[in-house]
Amino acid sequence: MSKIGILSTVTITMHTTKITTNTTMHTTIRTTKKSVFVLALKQSFLAIALLLGCLMPVLAEAPLASLEARFKPNAQGIAETTEVPDFQRHVSPLLGRMGCNGRACHGSFQGQGGFTLSLFGYDFDSDHKALLDQDAGRVDTKDPLVSLILTKPVDADLHEGGQRFKKDGWEYWVLRKWIEAGAPKSTNAAKSENQKLVRLDVSPLEIQFESRDKNQNLRAIAFWEDGTKEDVTSLCRFSSNDTSIANIDEKGNVTSGEVGDTHVVVSYDSAVVPVSVMRPVGVPGQLRQQIANSKTEIDRLVLRKLDKLGILPSGNATDAEFFRRVSLDVAGTLPTSDQVRQFLDDSTPDKRSKMIETLLASPGYAAWWTTFLCDMTGNNDDQLRNFSPLAQNSSQHWYQWIYARVAANVPYDKIVEGIVTAVSREPDESYAEYCEKMTEINVDKTGKSYADRSGLMYYWARTNQRTAEERAISFAYAFCGVRIQCAQCHKHPFDQWSKQDFDQFERLFDGVTANQNSYMPESKEDVDKMLTDLGLVKSLKGNDLRKKLEEVIRDGKTVPFPEMYVRLSKIPDSKAKDKKDKEKNAKKIAAAQKKYPVARLLGAEFVDLSTVSDPRVPLMEWLRRKDNPYFAKAIVNRVWAHYFQVGIVNPADDLNLANAPSNAELLDYLASGFIETGYDLKWLHRTILNTETYQRSWTTNQTNQLDRRNFSHSLLRRLPAETAYDALRIALSNDKEAQSICALESDRAMTMPGASAQNKNGKNGASNYALTVFGRSIRESNCDCDKSSDPSLLQTVFIRNDSDVLKAMNDPKFSWLAQVAKEHNLTPIRTNSDTPEPKQMQKASVSRTSEDYDRDIRKYRKQLQMLENKEGSEKTIRDVKSRLALAEKRLQELTLAKDKSSNSEPQSEPVYLSNLSSKSEVRLSDEVSTKIVEEIYLRTLSRKPTSVEMETSQKAIAVAETPLNGISDVLWAVINTKEFILNH
Amino acid sequence: MSIHNYCDGMKRRDFIRVGSLATGSFTLANYLRMAEAGQVKDGNATSGIFIDLSGGPSHLDTFDPKPEAPEGIRGDFKTIPTCVSGIQISEHLPKMAKNLDKYVILRGVSHTLAAHNLGSEYVNTGSRPLASLEYPGYGAVLCKERPVDSDIPAFVAIPNSGQRSGFLGIQYAPLNTGASPQAGKPFNVRGISLGAGVTVEQLDRRQNLLKDLDHTFASMENRDQLLTGLDRFSDKAYSMLTSERARYAFDVSKEDATFAAQFGTDSFEQSCLLAVRLIESGVRFVSLRVGGWDNHTDIFNNLSTKLLPKLDGGVSALLMGLEQKGLLSSTSVMVTGEFGRTPKVNTRATLGGRDHYPRCMFMLMAGGKIRGGQVIGQSDETASGPANDAITPSDAAASFYHNLGIDPKQEFQTETGRPIMLVRDGNIIPQLFA
Repeated sequence: MSKIGILSTVTITMHTTKITTNTTMHTTIRTTKKSVFVLALKQSFLAIALLLGCLMPVLAEAPLASLEARFKPNAQGIAETTEVPDFQRHVSPLLGRMGCNGRACHGSFQGQGGFTLSLFGYDFDSDHKALLDQDAGRVDTKDPLVSLILTKPVDADLHEGGQRFKKDGWEYWVLRKWIEAGAPKSTNAAKSENQKLVRLDVSPLEIQFESRDKNQNLRAIAFWEDGTKEDVTSLCRFSSNDTSIANIDEKGNVTSGEVGDTHVVVSYDSAVVPVSVMRPVGVPGQLRQQIANSKTEIDRLVLRKLDKLGILPSGNATDAEFFRRVSLDVAGTLPTSDQVRQFLDDSTPDKRSKMIETLLASPGYAAWWTTFLCDMTGNNDDQLRNFSPLAQNSSQHWYQWIYARVAANVPYDKIVEGIVTAVSREPDESYAEYCEKMTEINVDKTGKSYADRSGLMYYWARTNQRTAEERAISFAYAFCGVRIQCAQCHKHPFDQWSKQDFDQFERLFDGVTANQNSYMPESKEDVDKMLTDLGLVKSLKGNDLRKKLEEVIRDGKTVPFPEMYVRLSKIPDSKAKDKKDKEKNAKKIAAAQKKYPVARLLGAEFVDLSTVSDPRVPLMEWLRRKDNPYFAKAIVNRVWAHYFQVGIVNPADDLNLANAPSNAELLDYLASGFIETGYDLKWLHRTILNTETYQRSWTTNQTNQLDRRNFSHSLLRRLPAETAYDALRIALSNDKEAQSICALESDRAMTMPGASAQNKNGKNGASNYALTVFGRSIRESNCDCDKSSDPSLLQTVFIRNDSDVLKAMNDPKFSWLAQVAKEHNLTPIRTNSDTPEPKQMQKASVSRTSEDYDRDIRKYRKQLQMLENKEGSEKTIRDVKSRLALAEKRLQELTLAKDKSSNSEPQSEPVYLSNLSSKSEVRLSDEVSTKIVEEIYLRTLSRKPTSVEMETSQKAIAVAETPLNGISDVLWAVINTKEFILNH
Repeated sequence: MSIHNYCDGMKRRDFIRVGSLATGSFTLANYLRMAEAGQVKDGNATSGIFIDLSGGPSHLDTFDPKPEAPEGIRGDFKTIPTCVSGIQISEHLPKMAKNLDKYVILRGVSHTLAAHNLGSEYVNTGSRPLASLEYPGYGAVLCKERPVDSDIPAFVAIPNSGQRSGFLGIQYAPLNTGASPQAGKPFNVRGISLGAGVTVEQLDRRQNLLKDLDHTFASMENRDQLLTGLDRFSDKAYSMLTSERARYAFDVSKEDATFAAQFGTDSFEQSCLLAVRLIESGVRFVSLRVGGWDNHTDIFNNLSTKLLPKLDGGVSALLMGLEQKGLLSSTSVMVTGEFGRTPKVNTRATLGGRDHYPRCMFMLMAGGKIRGGQVIGQSDETASGPANDAITPSDAAASFYHNLGIDPKQEFQTETGRPIMLVRDGNIIPQLFA
């Protein structure tokens, strides 16, 4: 596989050279190889020599012609060849190409008509078995012509899947000849293993169309390990990533559609090769000057691609646009009006770079990117509930552990290493010391000291990640950006992974143990002793024990903590002394090895599990290798996707072969730079943010208005849930409060440690509702799509009318409106938040009736009676007594209130008092209202209002019942504009 | 990314294939036989109500009593006859007994997920939870398939719901009322009722001002999906907030007194009243949740004094109310917890309880084309498992969707392009519609 990768890179590099030097050539269809030759001739002899050197062997020995040609029937409809088709190379891919092993057909897990093939093929053993199953009659070697795989596909009436090929067609003859030869699984009897496909050469690898409905045929040559090569075009499966731009038929014929760029994908055996297809939007070649002048490599690479497509990039964003965008993107924080003013007034030429540095050093940066990594690694409270005795602290520890590292800019590979190879104990730490330390950490509610631990054991302790399979899937998702889960059951349809690859990869996660009762065998004694010392009876188990431990720990006593450790089942020593033992051991070893057949890194070498104590260590080493195809790319692509709304590979968490990057060189550049700087996250941010590409305007031109994958302009995107919620609070709070929110002195949505799918009304109940509505990540299903930036009706309703928002807007103490009222001596708006609130407004579900209290009181009294003579229940008695007292008090209050309300007038609807207040209130001077409107715009949209906006707003204030009413209307309107909720 | 353009028209055949491999009486083969004979009616209900008995109610002490079972299993309650001869249910469900003609009891429903959240996810979606994928709940699916284009929310959860929108995306998430209505009092719902001191006039004024100010992206408004979507939601939110209809629907105090009197004053019963009003006014799907069923201890007191009276009053009034308003035939109703409870009463505490037990549970289904007045399925002598063929939550889900006119085998695409069958392993229960 890796060779295919190298080959395509080489070709692309050549092609790039072509673009810069040879732009005059405009044939209708340009194929890579042709132009490479032209270029080579024009350039130098050295290049020719090099190229011929590469191409000679290919030219020297032509590949085997296609099956289609070899099995072509003669005039009598008979194929005369004596060749026996190979099962893996010919029969199986042919069945795949005809769609037999598709999901809706025989590839379905239930099969179809009693015949099941492995979905998308590549399970040659079971497919061969299924075909030769005597009862099914698919293949009859004794009487080949009655074989169902010959009779069914030619007959639309007989076959539910319709006619798949013509009788007497080459496909028919391939299958027939194979059956007649005895339907062998392998033509080489000595080999039972799968044959290895070294690479699949597809040409051309890049197609440029000039207009609609043009065609180009693809050709695919398979190179096998034994040195043979064959034209397999007629055996490949073809698909298009965007059929509106390029269509491809089952023969590999590509047809152009709309302008734009996409990939068509060629699959054969284990190979998946994307072919870039482009139809320029405008005239290519206009950006040469701009490319030459670009200050950064990123800009250069982005412009090059745009130039190929004839797309002109948008211009530079204004300072105000840049500042709002970068603050929200980097630090998840809306700037205050003062910060905006300062930035706009600053005339230093490099103020943007300086601002980027300031933001990268801000606490907002650390909090936002910690949230980002918590999303990625799956910090979910629901899944952590069954590990530590103080379950609610686990997600906090997780957050703090990452926060400390992000804030200190610890290299990304170090952070990941701390997660991947985590165990609960530090080196040389005894179990007792571990428990002491953990108790200490848990007593402190902030959980900050957990950050001092070297590993993040909680990653491995989630309830939905207990099996090796689940762990393999979430590992591949989080650290490789690979969706390996398809291969859990069948060959990955868009990637090289087979089910066997998955099974072997999964083995690396065997033996990782982390649950409520996981103690290392040698710790068990300590655990028992601790429990005895604490006076806890042995019969206490599970949740009951955990509850008890929770109580004890609150008193600061050290309790036993579960451990996260790795222990593989032992494979016996093969170096036994005498022969007998040796034989015996050999059997044992064989059995053990069968249990752990082979562990293998994803797309790389095998790991001998008998030689490692923790398979996660070689796994981490593999991640860190310079040639690892995923580790660095996955993170740089995700970060890029955050800044540009789409990834270079998009979706950002799906780095499969078919999902080719829109700009491979750009991705390579970022990934290798990231590795070279020692996985420096701030380098990555800084490098991206300081480009013209990031700082482009959102306004578009004729050529780039439809572009969504080549970064020609800034895409409008909805603020992430956390940012949106915090931005609303900042926009509506008074100056002092806003500043403290910005500086993270008050709680922020992005300092909430855990997340889950349940919309709980816990500690962060208020913000939880909003965050759910805005699509905060549920951190559950190993997909970046766990978070959502889609708009919804409920979001719109939330900003327009939710009590949270209206309260924040009108709060007498913290709101900006209250501040304005005070500053300008305006009549405050009275809302029903000042008047006693009708109870059912806010908390109808929890408001309790006198019957409820009555019942409670009876219950408590009964309890007290029962407890009275029991030993050791003093604490409980105290507890119940205080609850009883409280209930009695509440009941009394309720009764009093009832009496009172029955004597007074029924409560009227809340009134908007300001509507009634005197119309004679002083109007604001022009100067003051100008200032106020400007302030509204600065604190919400981070810019000054246009003259039209100023006029409209001032008019609204002037005609309102009271000035403050008008001001609140303007503020309301502005936070409800699309501009507010979008980053642009 | 579609990989195969072949085998089109195979979806219909998928249907047959699944059936022919399953066994027992709840099979699709059976379904098709009955369908052929004209015995199964196609569902055409347009709205749905799902009542989530959160915590997992005991089946033995409610709709699947075993009076002949040994002590320690049969529990403290007696049974009473229902309006259908031969069917007995718990003595604490007298109103439900009288109204059995309106609904079906599914007994011997069985699955294997004994944890609350997993079980709940299963019964709320009809597909066993997968780590790699979140299935959408019934309400989200119905809203996607049958959008309401009006001034009323499509999916309301009282007070919240275990149903999430899963891979369909958050735009199909329910509007959570956050609270339950109280008898005779105006009910203010988050987002729907105008907030603190805001009047319709003011909202009008603000909306006009917003229209005047929201012009920054005017140049690309029609070209950007996000902008178009936000504009559409803005209009919809405005009409919902200013609409009399929505506010009227949510206000249980506006209900006709005689009608309302059928519902008790308990907040769950009032929620049932609200559900009927919402369906009447055009809401597509209402999900109700009533907790407290996780009775590990003191189960009999809890059931007889608190839980069963409100369940009995609420659900029976809901069914009667729907019928009186002519809505029962167009509303598919399902009542279920996440699992049943252990047949054996535990003795850990002085007053014992029952523990999680997914192997055997009950569900209720009603409305639409469902023929009420029957028990389908059977549990064994001690209600420890299904006596014959198990009904699975997937079967119930397939039937619930069928009743709503939605093909349970329908395919959806997830965001990652993965094709997903709506109900993975479910078969329609033919007897429901016979």
